[in-house]
Amino acid sequence: MHRPIMPPQVFRLVLLTIAIVASYFMARWLLTPATFHAYGFYRGEALAEHMTPEPVYAGRNACGECHEDVVKKLAAKEHRTLGCETCHGVSQPHVENPDVKLTKIGDNHCLRCHEANGARPAFIKQIVVKDHFRGDKCTGCHVPHQPNEMP
Amino acid sequence: MKTSVTRRSLLAGLGGALAGLMTNSLAQTAKAAVKTVFVRTNAPRGYDPSKHKWLMCFDVDRCIGCGLCVEACKTENHVPQGPSYFRTWIERYIIKRPKPGSGSARGEVIVDSPNGGRDGFPPTLVPREDILKSFFVPKLCNLCEHSPCVQVCPVGATFDTPDGAVLVDPHYCIGCGFCIQACPYGCRFLNPETKTAEKCTLCYHRITRGKKPACVEICPTEARIFGDLKNPVENDPIQRFINQNKVNTLKPHLGTEPRVLYANLDKEVR
Repeated sequence: MHRPIMPPQVFRLVLLTIAIVASYFMARWLLTPATFHAYGFYRGEALAEHMTPEPVYAGRNACGECHEDVVKKLAAKEHRTLGCETCHGVSQPHVENPDVKLTKIGDNHCLRCHEANGARPAFIKQIVVKDHFRGDKCTGCHVPHQPNEMP
Repeated sequence: MKTSVTRRSLLAGLGGALAGLMTNSLAQTAKAAVKTVFVRTNAPRGYDPSKHKWLMCFDVDRCIGCGLCVEACKTENHVPQGPSYFRTWIERYIIKRPKPGSGSARGEVIVDSPNGGRDGFPPTLVPREDILKSFFVPKLCNLCEHSPCVQVCPVGATFDTPDGAVLVDPHYCIGCGFCIQACPYGCRFLNPETKTAEKCTLCYHRITRGKKPACVEICPTEARIFGDLKNPVENDPIQRFINQNKVNTLKPHLGTEPRVLYANLDKEVR
């Protein structure tokens, strides 16, 4: 009769310990996402998921592809720092399909920047509407792309 | 001579190997299943986060409080319209004149942000002669180098990316709100629809496509300046901004090392 290496109760304990440790590594291997340590202690794929949504605002470079003359005109004068979509609103649908029209701009849009407000810095031209307004709308007197030019 | 391989041991060994192989294939299937649960994306490839370091700067003197950035952020990122859900917002500071004989340099500081500034700012009710000075401060995630929000997250759902953004993994977030309390700048909120923490992502889907964040794209006065420290362009706006202004960060005493820089920041701004 050949003699066992260790007593049977110790042998069972060793087996159990190995099983527990193995199941831990198995679970860790199974449950850790593939990209987990790609950049750090988080799921690398989460970055890709944050990249997934399609942009809503097209950006001024997209506008220049067709409306180069308007972009040039705008860049020459006071409103040069404005993006196209600052006034014209969301344009991605229009970029994809030029038949989709942009939303109309009302006078209130001009007033968002140009209405007198004590907290506004002095470099921006401000008006008190009841003292200033003479026509039926802002564009009656002002050209938005070249604000100091009279129509 | 007695051989150590008996028929019994050989059969047992073969059976064990077969079981091991079967378990392995089963485990591979399970892992693939887990992967499909966690990974669903059709993001643009070819963007390497380690090759960029994004930075946002604000010139307080250029902000006119039109609120178009707040509106653009909500539209771009589908942020809920409620009164307390903002990834970026504008605060109006009104600093009153000190009471005569009080011996202080400035009086009461009033801060308001009606609807985050999304609809612009109505004229203040404080009489003009009481106002010492007044200005707008745009705010968003301060992109801390040592982010308190990342430290407190109990499930590791929020993290610093190599390119400088601080993002939330919505699949891991349990909506406990610890990060919302931890952020000293109040930049996070709990999305009522997804029940997960949300914050400014620097428009991660836009910057990885070579566009500017929506708020920067929309800002009519270039009060917001955005750029890449690792890939400076010719006449780089970020470098110019840092050269020409004396820049500061919000709450520098907290040691969070924000990477959002402010020029012309008043000491009353919190």
